[in-house]
Amino acid sequence: MFTIEIAGIAIGIQNRFRYIRELCEEYMANEKTPLFTVCATDEDVKEEIKISAPGVPRAYAEATCIHRLIARRLYEFDAFLLHSAVISCDGEGYAFAAKSGVGKSTHISLWMKNFGDRVFVVNGDKPIIRLTENGFYVYGTPWRGKEGYGKNTSCPLKALCFVERGEQNSICGIGADEALVGLFPQVYLPEDAVASSATLELIDKFVKKTKFYRLKCNMQDEAALVAYKGMN
Amino acid sequence: MKIKEGFLVREVAGAHIVVATGARMKEFSGIIKLNETGVFLWERMTKETDVQTLTNALTAEYDVGVEQAQKDVENFTETLKKADIIE
Repeated sequence: MFTIEIAGIAIGIQNRFRYIRELCEEYMANEKTPLFTVCATDEDVKEEIKISAPGVPRAYAEATCIHRLIARRLYEFDAFLLHSAVISCDGEGYAFAAKSGVGKSTHISLWMKNFGDRVFVVNGDKPIIRLTENGFYVYGTPWRGKEGYGKNTSCPLKALCFVERGEQNSICGIGADEALVGLFPQVYLPEDAVASSATLELIDKFVKKTKFYRLKCNMQDEAALVAYKGMN
Repeated sequence: MKIKEGFLVREVAGAHIVVATGARMKEFSGIIKLNETGVFLWERMTKETDVQTLTNALTAEYDVGVEQAQKDVENFTETLKKADIIE
């Protein structure tokens, strides 16, 4: 049993396996009182293995279950999980969203290559987005995706950019209508109707407050420069 | 016919969006955007109804001919049926 703090929320974790403790190392906050506690039961873990990948180690499945249990309660704190790769450049957050395999990770590595120290990855897979009194902020979490990119940090979200592959690099701003279509598949919508409804309300605010872009890009260095210029 | 349990409608960024909740999410993982007529009809399909009743409701509310109204209702219900949203 230990306590972590992610996105400013103290959460108690009741675990059986060591793996999740190691995963959460950077987020330990045992001095804090948890706002809520999560625990994956045996059944949860078995179910997780069945639906995600039979043969996956139980320790890993426990961590995934716990991630989902936490995700289900984020709405209580004006937060939601967004499947996207988020980087911080000069202290501002840029989120990149796309279907799996399109090249979010490749694209952000071009930013790291071209902007050096000015850029680091906040979370490469599913950052938490939270509405604060200063607008929407993005937060790192222990769950970083297969490349393991991420830090225990946060920054204000400057823009969300939808990424598509293209021969040439080009970027344009898009409106709420178009953004909604691209956004929905990447938002974790809890099953519970109350949670789902509250999350949709958050998304409503998010769409109204955020700048959206569509980037067509190849794997050249220029892609990062075009993207940066387009969003600044 | 009527809309299956487990769908909720919310206004998001000025558009009416339908999402599946709970167990229904396993069957339906997309979203539906409803225009004004869509919202009007959807609200009347949460309990058992039929094409005739919906057409009458449309023509009572909107200044549109019966033929057009019926076509619109049939198109809408057909789309919902294809997406397996009505029973």
